[in-house]
Amino acid sequence: MAGEFHVDIGPQYEGEVIRKEDVYVEFGGPKVAHKFELATLKSAAEIENEKVEIIGPDLNALAPYDATTGKGGSYPLAVLVDVAGSQLDKDAEPIIERRIHMFTNMIEGWYHMNQRQDIWLRMSKACYKKGFTSLRELGEIYNFLFTSELPIIEKIQTTLITDDKKVAELLPKALKIYEARDARARALKDEDVDTFYGCTLCQSFAPTHVSIIAPNRIANCGAINWFDGRAAAKIDPEGPIFAIPKGKLLDPVRGEYEGLNKVVQEKSLGTYDRVYLYSAFEHPHTSCGCFQAIVFYIPEADAFGVVNREFKGETVIGETFSHMAGDTSGGKQIEGRLGTGLEQLRSPKFIQADGGLARIVWMPKEVKERYKGVLQAKGLYDKIATEEDVKNVDELLAFLEKVGHPWLKGEVKLPI
Amino acid sequence: MTKTITIAIAGKGGTGKTTVAALLISLLSQKGLVLAVDADPSTNLNQALGLPLDENRTVGRIREKMTEDVSKGRLSPTIPKQEYLFGKIVESLAESKGFDLLAMGRPEGPGCYCASNEFLRASLDKLVKDYKYDYVVMDCEAGMEHISRQTTRDVDVLLIMSDPTMKGVTTAARMKELIGELRTKVGEVGLIINRVKGELSPEIKKAIDESGLQVIALIPEDPNMAGLEMKGKPVTELPQESPLRSKVKEIVESLRL
Repeated sequence: MAGEFHVDIGPQYEGEVIRKEDVYVEFGGPKVAHKFELATLKSAAEIENEKVEIIGPDLNALAPYDATTGKGGSYPLAVLVDVAGSQLDKDAEPIIERRIHMFTNMIEGWYHMNQRQDIWLRMSKACYKKGFTSLRELGEIYNFLFTSELPIIEKIQTTLITDDKKVAELLPKALKIYEARDARARALKDEDVDTFYGCTLCQSFAPTHVSIIAPNRIANCGAINWFDGRAAAKIDPEGPIFAIPKGKLLDPVRGEYEGLNKVVQEKSLGTYDRVYLYSAFEHPHTSCGCFQAIVFYIPEADAFGVVNREFKGETVIGETFSHMAGDTSGGKQIEGRLGTGLEQLRSPKFIQADGGLARIVWMPKEVKERYKGVLQAKGLYDKIATEEDVKNVDELLAFLEKVGHPWLKGEVKLPI
Repeated sequence: MTKTITIAIAGKGGTGKTTVAALLISLLSQKGLVLAVDADPSTNLNQALGLPLDENRTVGRIREKMTEDVSKGRLSPTIPKQEYLFGKIVESLAESKGFDLLAMGRPEGPGCYCASNEFLRASLDKLVKDYKYDYVVMDCEAGMEHISRQTTRDVDVLLIMSDPTMKGVTTAARMKELIGELRTKVGEVGLIINRVKGELSPEIKKAIDESGLQVIALIPEDPNMAGLEMKGKPVTELPQESPLRSKVKEIVESLRL
């Protein structure tokens, strides 16, 4: 394969690592401030097919790493891959961009780590010796691999920039694009996917617990989102993080799915046979021992409080987090007590059957400040009491009356 | 392909554990590629090896930062945390001639680390596999908790360090008993007694016999150490014929490493 190149190309080189002792030059990495890679979808007319452009000094003009002094050889780099194809849409950009990682690693003597603005590429001394003396060859290999491995790409051009000023100038634009992609990912809803993920990493603490991970529900520990679940299940499908076909939607308001009921029954060893993803009542999600926060029912207000693990004092109902955690944990379904990841406060499905965020009346000041944006957007920021406003339930009720909390005023309509 | 040999060195503080670890690493790095793991937050394997330490580049710090970035929404939701963590671990490797050093840093604080430790275990396993290390040498804290929580590696050789005191030997014996409770499987176990002056006392000999530990080396007090320590020089600068260095060489030979 690839007779016209100076080095071999193939999947056998993917696991190849280039240690510092063998480095000729490296691009990006922890020593370099400006580096990124970006795939952009363009119209066919904007692309000069198979063109490679180098901006800045090329390999043969860069001083190599000096092993005796341990210095030099680290340079900035931007990898820009422009593609066109009648079947391609914007959502394909991150997928194409991710292939830069795999394709670079397929080149003998090249190594690629990380992604986006964190990229780190290394080229070995042996590679340079074999005649790989121009980045043009790297660009040509990208063009070759992209079009041969992904026929959906009809036209491609690659630009490699080593000029620090130019990379630094383009970097903020790339960061904006990454942010926009993340915003799209955060907008992903449970309705948009067929597969959820389950996590039983904590079953040593809670043998009947399984954390359900969905686009609108991060795991209780707050560490594993739907994308992480997808990645982990792909690497090790038999591992503690596994795919769950969500199955038929039985109750769109409370979030009851046929597929989830089945998994909960199986993983809880028959203890539970139903689970509601979007409610703290009847069949709430179980809690391991590791949740970031607890959502707790306050009967006097017929509403909820939220307390996070870091909050050491007494909550408005006189119990501390650790006191409540004792009752909430262990893989039990406890009505009115929900262990949760804090990020759920941003989820549009957060206890939606019970009134959602608008039914929260108390939380620690620190949490309230951290989620100020989302609370303000819903007009709730001034309506929720903290430990600084009230010390007990009597004071809470007076506070809610004074600020006119929408739930107590009867302004929150429960979905049916 | 040859199998990676994993060697753990444990023992109570002040027994010369880190010194022996550093000498072992320096010796083994002439035979093959070594991953040196500093798994004891209270010692400085890096210093013994003559490498600078960047506090921000310990595994503990990486994990803390990841947790913080997640909670502040700074980490992209689409970048799998396992991949992210692996990248950061590779970035934090101190690459040197014949060996790479990875510092574990402080253990986790309160909160849930099931998920991050799971990612960490997978990352460390991938690191050893990708880099094709011939040896992994771990300088462990006494309880070796770090190891069992953060890697799935089995230990081929466990070297327990002691000084020629009853306290040291009792601690070593307890460590041997605790092995059974770890998730990690341990192959050969050997006892090294450091700073031996003349013969071991009969009481200590009896305690060793009762513990079932096998003595694989008695190292006499090394007169060269004090000078190095006062100048803050790495132990790898010990002269070739110094007692410590020649004993470590003997250990390597007797264990056929």
